[in-house]
Amino acid sequence: MEIIEAPFPFVTLSIAVPALFALGVLYLSQKHVKILGVLGSLITFFISLIVLYLFDYSRAGSVQFYEEYLILEELGVKLSLGIDGLSLIMYLLTTLVSLVAILWSIRDHQISTRLREYFFAFLLSESFLIGVFTSFDLIVFFVFYELTLLPMFFAIGIWGYKLRLYSAYKFFIYIFVSSLFLLLGVATAVVLNYQKTGSFSFSYFDLLKADFSGTAGLLLFVLFFIAFAVKTPLVPFHTWLPDAHGEAPTAGSVVLAAILLKMGTYALVRFNIGLFPEATLKLMPYLVSIGIITILYASWMTIVQNNVKRFVAYSSVSHMGFIVTAMFLLNREGMKASVIEMFAHGMTSASLFMIAGFIYNRLHTFNMNSLRGSVKFMPLFAVIVALTAFASMGLPGGSSFWGKFLTVLSAKEYGTKLALLVLGGAFFSAAYVLYMLKTLFLDVREESILIHFTDIRGYKLLSFLLLLIPILLIGFFPHLFFGMFVEATDLILKRFINLG
Amino acid sequence: MEVKELIGTIELPDLGLFLPELIVLITAFVLFTLDLALSPARKRLLLPSISAIGYVSAFISLFLTGGMTGDTFYRTFTKDTLGTLIKIFEVLITIGVLAFANRYFRHRRSLYGEFYYMLAFTLLASMILVSSYNLIVIYVALEFVSIGFYILTALMRGSFIAKEGAYKYLILGGLSIALASYGAVFMYIYAGSIDLREILTYRGQDHHYLILGIVLFLIGFAIKIGAVPFHFWLPDAYQGAPTPITAFMASVGKMAFFVPVVRIMPLIGEKFSFAWMITVGVIAAVTMLYGNIVALVQKDIKRLLAYSSIAHSGYILAGVAVTETIGLKAVIYFLIAYGVMSAGAFLAVALLERSGGWENTIAEFSGLRFSAPYLAFSFMIFMFALLGVPPTVGFVGKTLVFMALSYDKLWWLALIIILSTAISTGYYVRLVVLMYMKDREKEVSVRERSYLETASLAVLTLLTILLAVFPSAIWELISPSAEILFQR
Repeated sequence: MEIIEAPFPFVTLSIAVPALFALGVLYLSQKHVKILGVLGSLITFFISLIVLYLFDYSRAGSVQFYEEYLILEELGVKLSLGIDGLSLIMYLLTTLVSLVAILWSIRDHQISTRLREYFFAFLLSESFLIGVFTSFDLIVFFVFYELTLLPMFFAIGIWGYKLRLYSAYKFFIYIFVSSLFLLLGVATAVVLNYQKTGSFSFSYFDLLKADFSGTAGLLLFVLFFIAFAVKTPLVPFHTWLPDAHGEAPTAGSVVLAAILLKMGTYALVRFNIGLFPEATLKLMPYLVSIGIITILYASWMTIVQNNVKRFVAYSSVSHMGFIVTAMFLLNREGMKASVIEMFAHGMTSASLFMIAGFIYNRLHTFNMNSLRGSVKFMPLFAVIVALTAFASMGLPGGSSFWGKFLTVLSAKEYGTKLALLVLGGAFFSAAYVLYMLKTLFLDVREESILIHFTDIRGYKLLSFLLLLIPILLIGFFPHLFFGMFVEATDLILKRFINLG
Repeated sequence: MEVKELIGTIELPDLGLFLPELIVLITAFVLFTLDLALSPARKRLLLPSISAIGYVSAFISLFLTGGMTGDTFYRTFTKDTLGTLIKIFEVLITIGVLAFANRYFRHRRSLYGEFYYMLAFTLLASMILVSSYNLIVIYVALEFVSIGFYILTALMRGSFIAKEGAYKYLILGGLSIALASYGAVFMYIYAGSIDLREILTYRGQDHHYLILGIVLFLIGFAIKIGAVPFHFWLPDAYQGAPTPITAFMASVGKMAFFVPVVRIMPLIGEKFSFAWMITVGVIAAVTMLYGNIVALVQKDIKRLLAYSSIAHSGYILAGVAVTETIGLKAVIYFLIAYGVMSAGAFLAVALLERSGGWENTIAEFSGLRFSAPYLAFSFMIFMFALLGVPPTVGFVGKTLVFMALSYDKLWWLALIIILSTAISTGYYVRLVVLMYMKDREKEVSVRERSYLETASLAVLTLLTILLAVFPSAIWELISPSAEILFQR
């Protein structure tokens, strides 16, 4: 991988700015908390726009804006930060969704106590997430990966709904324990590389050169995979997600679904596929079947959910199934589908959770039966709901269309049966979205409560708009996004050509 | 032999190598004398200040003599980088403990002068214990540290738990010393020397005595570090001891007792390395599983931390199983890490104990964030560090142990570490949940918190994070100390 040094430490800056604002929020007066919170994430978003502008798209496969600071020379630990095409799109997703989450929190009734800590947690989580997507040193990646757990743990535990403590525990234990396997994997990879080369290095670039083949590769693949499969989540390990989502405050769910889950899929592409191609190729049929099982199982589970947040949570799981299936098909279309879907699902799931939160603010319930016809007297909100839902379903023109379409296309390379299976998954996801739309729009109920509802406006409208614009952009101009990352993913796939 | 010749063989000790210990020794004797001579009112002021002056100057002298290495006192006392590194943290933590002593004991209405000189003597003994290869000196220092701990544990004369703890500790501690010295005898029979370096590099025919010797010696130390199945004294002693003393025992004690074991590590030849790996590995696995499972059901915070201390002995022993430089480095780092975080956790509890009606139960931690935000924050940092969440020393320690284990392909032990860490998540996270996510059940207010106490806790909290974020500061000492040990 080619490395281009940073002309200016943009990455460090975008990690440091939210962290500094977080500290500011903690120590300044209660009055300015919200302004500071928005300002912090807004500035970070602008930095990311500058990076987007300065990024050299002709060399999207190389790591740009690269910075390196030595932490521990003997063990080869370096704080190495940089952005390549794949990181860029995730980085953009992080700054955008964090801004949206914080804008949303300004008028969220659930958040009435401990405001400082709330904005502290969300700004810190933005900072850590940027760290995850931009670090090219495995141990630094791990540190950020693990750190993102803490703000979300507190967000669920402090500002969540009734069962918040149970969910917070469950979330912490699942993620923490699974990432211990990753830690063991990282340590093992480094030591194996040391035994071959004679020097310790946690650097991604050095480990790329190392050849992890045979049993060692399989072992490492499995150790890495356990952690990321729980985070993503894939089906046998998904049970923490509905609980966490069901109890988290709206903004927490937004960040969790839109960005935190993408850490798992991003890491699968970057580390599992990138570092252990041989093992990936060997395990490919199993991995694809896990992905397809996730799609189907989660779609069925979605339809029977009674709680609207759990409903959206399961739909997230099924989308993650698409992402994982697509990436392990190991061809160009599949990779494109996978990464574009990561971004697209970030937008739609965030929007869906905000819809759930918005309705909760009006009706004070997440129960599907009580939501019947609830958007009737809020025309603007109804439009937003319809747009998001159709985009999430995979209608052409919406953001998820490209993910699903390209997945089917790439599955076709392996035979029509596989393509039909994936198509079946897409069918079920359409089914549950239509069911949701029917509940919200068409079911009748007594209108005396509904008539008093005021339509969406202000900050909340703004946060929806920030999401809807990229949704439509992806739908109509997907090449804007493909151009960012395709070279980077091609570079990862290139290693498979030699393997055959 | 003529008298002249005899005098000629006398070599003058190189006091430069012994300077830090000498300072602590003098401090201890001064404290002892003053305790006899002074009136209670003066003692209250003078004894802590003299201790502080003594420890601080010992701390400074450790840095001044940091570059000096070598043997003295007829090769019975060895000053090397490992010893210096451990001693730096021993003295530092003792200073932290000292800051808490005065108010704690006054609150419990049992401030006695012997606390100060016993603390000094115990510190001295643990400093000697970490800097010798001589079996006799190790034996004497071991006995010396232990006697100090017995007395310090029973300092609350009126308390039943304290007496029970001290008594148990005395019996099992006596047994451990007997076993260790018996092991030393067998090693002497094998090699005809009492210097560990010579014993383990000696190429004798009959290995039985050596193996028997090492096994007995190790069992002796296993009792001291609280490895399962020799751990029975530990929770009782930790619970019974005055909390600042518990902090001292858990951190300084553990470091001191582990170092002789660490010194044996590089001397284990190829011949024994497999047997060593299996034996130590199994003990480590059992220890960490047992400690964590039992800690899960504890209601008393001091007992909980005591079982977590047992579990950590297991993690460190897992590193000891790997007789390579990487294993040694992991062990040294983890020892220091554990010293810092356990001292911090126990000292935070010591502070809480001064609040009215505090009974050391876990339930009392509910809503601590509202009544004592900074204390709750630092306690949370210590809990996360003990659990191994980055970026804390506990995390770096676990990473290093994982690296060491995968170096020797001890996957099963690594998986057991993961399993037992998973179990430990239950109780560490429960404390954080109680402190931050529950409403308070009772008002906790620590009366007359002194600046020294706050400063000492703040330093330990900072060290918990900084030693992990900027590890190169102590790595420059860890790395050479491990490599020098392997050069022999």
